Amino acid sequence: MLVDLFIYSFRNLKNRKLRTWLTMIGIVIGIASVVALIGLGGGLRMAITGQFQGVSADLLTIQAGGIAMSGPPGSGVVNPLKDYYVGDIGSLSSVEFAASRLLETGTLEFNDRQLVGMAVSMPSGESRRFLEQSFDIEVETGRLLKDGDGNKVFLGSNFAKKDNGFDKPIAVGQKVLLSGKSFEVVGIMKSKGSFMFDGAVLVNEDPLRDLVNNHDDVDLIIAKVKNLNEVDKAKFDIEKYLRKERDVDIGEEDFSVESAQASIDTINSVLGGVQAFVIIIAAISMIVGAIGIINTMFTSVLERRKEIGIMKAIGAKNSDIFYLFFIESGLLGAIGGLIGIIFGWLIALAGTSALSALLGSEVAPDISIVFVLLALFGCFILGAVSGIIPAMQAANMKPVDALRS
Amino acid sequence: MITKENLTYAIRNLMNRKVRSFLTILSILVGITTIFIFVSFGMGLYFYMDEISVDIGVDKLFVQAKGVGAPGLDSTFKLTDDDLDTLGKTRGIVQTTGMAFAIAMVQKDSKIMYNYLAGMPTDNSEDLDFILEFLTVDILDGRQLRDSDRGKVMLGYNYAVPNRLFEKPFKVGDKIEINDEEFKIIGFYEEIGNPSDDANVYLTMDEFNRLTDADETNYGMLVARVDNVDNIDEIAERAKKKLRKSRGLEEGKEDFFIASFEDYIEAFGAAMDFVIGFILVIAIVSVVVSAINTANTMFTSILERTKEIGVLKAIGAKNSEILVIFLLESSILGFIAGVFGVLLGWLISLLGGNLLAMLGWSFLSPRFPLALFAACILFATLVGTISGTVPAYNASKKNPVDSLRYE
Repeated sequence: MLVDLFIYSFRNLKNRKLRTWLTMIGIVIGIASVVALIGLGGGLRMAITGQFQGVSADLLTIQAGGIAMSGPPGSGVVNPLKDYYVGDIGSLSSVEFAASRLLETGTLEFNDRQLVGMAVSMPSGESRRFLEQSFDIEVETGRLLKDGDGNKVFLGSNFAKKDNGFDKPIAVGQKVLLSGKSFEVVGIMKSKGSFMFDGAVLVNEDPLRDLVNNHDDVDLIIAKVKNLNEVDKAKFDIEKYLRKERDVDIGEEDFSVESAQASIDTINSVLGGVQAFVIIIAAISMIVGAIGIINTMFTSVLERRKEIGIMKAIGAKNSDIFYLFFIESGLLGAIGGLIGIIFGWLIALAGTSALSALLGSEVAPDISIVFVLLALFGCFILGAVSGIIPAMQAANMKPVDALRS
Repeated sequence: MITKENLTYAIRNLMNRKVRSFLTILSILVGITTIFIFVSFGMGLYFYMDEISVDIGVDKLFVQAKGVGAPGLDSTFKLTDDDLDTLGKTRGIVQTTGMAFAIAMVQKDSKIMYNYLAGMPTDNSEDLDFILEFLTVDILDGRQLRDSDRGKVMLGYNYAVPNRLFEKPFKVGDKIEINDEEFKIIGFYEEIGNPSDDANVYLTMDEFNRLTDADETNYGMLVARVDNVDNIDEIAERAKKKLRKSRGLEEGKEDFFIASFEDYIEAFGAAMDFVIGFILVIAIVSVVVSAINTANTMFTSILERTKEIGVLKAIGAKNSEILVIFLLESSILGFIAGVFGVLLGWLISLLGGNLLAMLGWSFLSPRFPLALFAACILFATLVGTISGTVPAYNASKKNPVDSLRYE
């Protein structure tokens, strides 16, 4: 029965080719733009959050309070973190390690050109190894920094490229000027496809402190939790210690302790909001497409009054007539949806490959199969729902009137 | 050749197919409404920028130190009183002043928030007036800062309004805690229209330096007025050279920026064009879909009236008359959709603008120039006409004999 209905509906659609095509094109364009935007946006979001990835779940980031998003950690802070916190936090029972990081703005000069950027400190001893491991820092050429390295610098892979802003790639062994002071390049990092690492300027903590004349403040403390199940406990312990040390009450903290995942989640939710907004606008064209289906179905019912009358006269039930038109409009939606999804995905693919070429990192459209299936089903439902009123109109026709028309 | 006769004929035909006409109108309307909303907000933004350019004036240059993050907060490269002097001594510059920025912890009872702290030049009233001209703010309540003010602050608009920053609004004379120190509020500035600026805390430069432990003033931004706007680029270049020299820097290695207000507006405008353009393109997709719907409706309508067309032709209707009749039908559909779409869009923008203003984003307020209404209605009518072209042409070319025979 159901199969018959489908075949009959399909034949009807084929009989009115032009109208079917025009109705479907509406849905095709609507769904294609939604799918393209979801795929593009998802890919872009992955690319952006990927820049901040490479951070494991058992790391906690401690910062002093300020206006978030005003810049890199440590800038715009009211009451900076103190150097001695690092040791104290490291000795908490739930914390395995704590390492300090300094982020300092300065100039980098090479080949008689100068850029303004940030230099980041590397801690010494065990903490260094811990950071190198958890951030997965590997050497492309030269070597990593080691304890006791004075005016030595380890650079991200972007500096070894030709278009690094200095008109000349920087190589191991060469000298650069950091805020006017000469540093020797000891190594270049393996590219990680993330600007945070590929544009990094790493210097040992002591020479960086000397360079900027900062001897007690730190911008960022990174703590590794002893047991992955105890992230919350470690966070609680650190907060308790900092509250005591900085003399603030609960709820009045002038610092934040966050897991790395939490900051990625924040970025993700902001980007997700932007994406949702764009998709809602694109979805308007799907609504317009659905209105087109309603219109076509009304016309179709009107045209086939006689046919409906005959079917009823030879014993078709009201529900049969209803399903007939219901499935016909559902098919309109589903076929349009299928073509639209294919087009949308192709557009997303073209868009992301253009972006990949532009950004120099891998961006691929991010659409899950589940979503595709859902969208397809959604199009069938959208079409079917649009057909409900016309189908009901057809089902409730009086056979005699219908035959007479 | 649009006569009263074929106009009434077209309208009567549309009325005969009420549901179908309504649905077709609805589909065009949705797209027009969306476009109207975004263009009205976009125009509001452009208008806001123009207004600011006029208020701030094109005769100003800004100097900022290079750095990472929000302007003025990275204190690696400092702009000091020496730089202010150097800037003031540049030929073509008639007035200079500067202000400083930092982040402050603002507290009332147990609620803490981090907002911008602004150090104001209060040495003399000309400097203060100059910086206020640049900030484009007037006093809402209370009095202006004076050089002798100690332990006193002026606040942004949002502190005077309930539930924007703090539940209870502040009044002149109230106390507020900034970086753990109590300050007396002497006044409020008028609304700037965005949540960040309206949360600023203003105090004298001396108090700013004391609160931020600065030994000397570290300006976040220097502002200069030029005597002749036509030469502003030349003067900027001269000031750049002079500052470079006094700071002992080589060419191409400046640790500061110098720009005119127009430069900022241009950069901002380009970004805005892109965003608004992108949204409009997506909205226009829905208009394309609705145009296809309209074409579909017209094709159907012509198919249904094949016999009628045959009769019309048999009694002497010319091809061109048939064309006009059907073109009129689809244009009327578009026109009606345009009128109602614009009205609906106007209503939504008005409501949205008010809602945003209530939330502190009053600079995002829509504008409704008459031309926008006219353009949207014209666009909708055009969409109707264009989508009717092919069906109407088909109708006009029908063979009268075949049409009459059509069942």
